[in-house]
Amino acid sequence: MRYFSRLAGLAFVLVLAGCTGPTQTKGESFPSMYGETSPTTILVLPAINETTAADAGDLLNVTVAMPFANHGYYVIPVPIVADIFRREGIVEGEQIKNLPPTIYKQHFGADAVLFLTVEEWDTNYAILSANVTVGMEYVLVSTTSGEVLWSYEERVVMDTSGSSGNILADVIATAISTAMADYVPIAIQVHQNAVVAMPFGTMHPMHDQDAEMKTVKVLKRDAALEQ
Amino acid sequence: MKLKAIICLVAIGILSGCTTVSDAGYYWGNYSNTYYNYTKDPSDKTLAAHIAELQNIVAKSDEMELKVPPGLYAELGYISERQGEPSKSASYYQKEMELYPESKTFLERLTSAGKENN
Repeated sequence: MRYFSRLAGLAFVLVLAGCTGPTQTKGESFPSMYGETSPTTILVLPAINETTAADAGDLLNVTVAMPFANHGYYVIPVPIVADIFRREGIVEGEQIKNLPPTIYKQHFGADAVLFLTVEEWDTNYAILSANVTVGMEYVLVSTTSGEVLWSYEERVVMDTSGSSGNILADVIATAISTAMADYVPIAIQVHQNAVVAMPFGTMHPMHDQDAEMKTVKVLKRDAALEQ
Repeated sequence: MKLKAIICLVAIGILSGCTTVSDAGYYWGNYSNTYYNYTKDPSDKTLAAHIAELQNIVAKSDEMELKVPPGLYAELGYISERQGEPSKSASYYQKEMELYPESKTFLERLTSAGKENN
């Protein structure tokens, strides 16, 4: 249900914006996500972090399994995979960016490998509000053919301040919540935005039935989303 | 049909004290938070909290008659293995493979690689 209301919201925004973003269906955009080439097992590689926020890569890796599993994929357990890479001295996606995707079929039994790139992670503070701008790129590559099965890019502004209606309390809360930086729910929300544009996986009841759903072909978009 | 399922899940959620279930029918509890805390500050305390949450998710899923989320049993198996409890680990891996045959290739490779290292 959530997906439909978000899609409806998105469609509405597009109407208001004069239909500038050319939309295609999911089936047209990502044909290999359907039928026989559709992946079931996904291996998430350590994120490539292009930002100065040292924590951003870990944060997005830690939160990625749930939204993708909920969307119908078997995400090869991220904590185990992260540990295997760590023992090989790999903690950053940049280190393994150029390895051929086929090796992940051999070593992990993965149908597809997901590259996550954190392009932007900027926190902004004001007296009564705080937000973080997150720029993400997702690229899902087949470990059989090496082709890109699905990709998505987004830039979202997420509100990180809680409002209680009491100005003095809010000033303090803003200062505390940004200092404590509880970004886990934000990272989850960022992934959730991304999977909306992704065809449902083989373990989801809607698998192979969403090819006619519209998706936004122009993947870069700005949206101010409340937490 | 789907709407019915969701209403059902919501009803279950309310009955069982407001636990949230994803529309794929998984209950994840506080998974991301305890895992994140452990990643940021790996200690006995954060690990114990994460294990407790994994076991809580298994118990709650059973209670609600939901499938335990993918990867949960595998993660418990991996932790048991690292804690020197191979038989416990093997039974968790077995559960993961029964629930998610998709995990088989990965887990078989993981366990055979483990044996080679020992």
